[in-house]
Amino acid sequence: MRDPLSRRTFLKSSALAVAALAATGTGAVASPLLAGPGNEPGDDVKKVLRERFGARQIREGHITLDIPDVAPDSREVPLLIESDLPMTPDNFVKGIHIVVDHNPDIYLAGFEFTAAIGAATLDTRIKMRRSSQVRIIAETSKGELWTTSRFVYTSLNGCV
Amino acid sequence: MRDDVGQGKLILPTKIARNAVINIRALLSHPMLTGMSRDQAGIPIPAYFVNDVVITYGGEHVAHFEWSSGISRDPFVGFSLRASKEAPVTITWKDNKGGVYTSSADIKFGA
Repeated sequence: MRDPLSRRTFLKSSALAVAALAATGTGAVASPLLAGPGNEPGDDVKKVLRERFGARQIREGHITLDIPDVAPDSREVPLLIESDLPMTPDNFVKGIHIVVDHNPDIYLAGFEFTAAIGAATLDTRIKMRRSSQVRIIAETSKGELWTTSRFVYTSLNGCV
Repeated sequence: MRDDVGQGKLILPTKIARNAVINIRALLSHPMLTGMSRDQAGIPIPAYFVNDVVITYGGEHVAHFEWSSGISRDPFVGFSLRASKEAPVTITWKDNKGGVYTSSADIKFGA
């Protein structure tokens, strides 16, 4: 004998499936906006990276970047950079570089360290012309390059 | 023009243990002008920013920062240092118009 609820259950589950499809449909449209553009650098950014680091491979990892997702005042965007890379006399982070894709100066700042620093941490405030990918590149004394990036939305124009 | 340009501060933790990695904060009063803005008459305001920062510890060079005008006005920077000896830490800021500003603080190990 047929279960009288089966039709209802079927309708309910199919309605859910349709809702889920609709959700993923709108999700597919909206997600690029929510997630921000991909972190693939543009040609101008690639050029800056090539000038600084040549053809060396830049790998993701070992750097954490703490920066707001949305900057209320783009003239002062606070950022905190930390790294778990070693800081010993024969293997240390010799440089941390800040690259902002859509700023007039794409290469925003470079911080050169010696092993005496003890830890590769950095805390500062930057200007952003508009919403952009913010990239941090750490260079070790052995020549390895590590990176991380975050997309930051800005409200006010930051270039004063 | 502001008259406080070049006033700086170097802030150390109040208690420092030998060989501890400490956090140092440095501040400078500086307009950090990009050169891309204009005044009310529409005349471009020339770039005026700190582009070179050197940190020494007991006379020894420990860090060097190279900046564009993308660092915010009244620049602030926090960094680490291993307190390996009792010695002064000095920060020297230089701007693109030849201004040189120095702040210093002594690392002493607390009792």
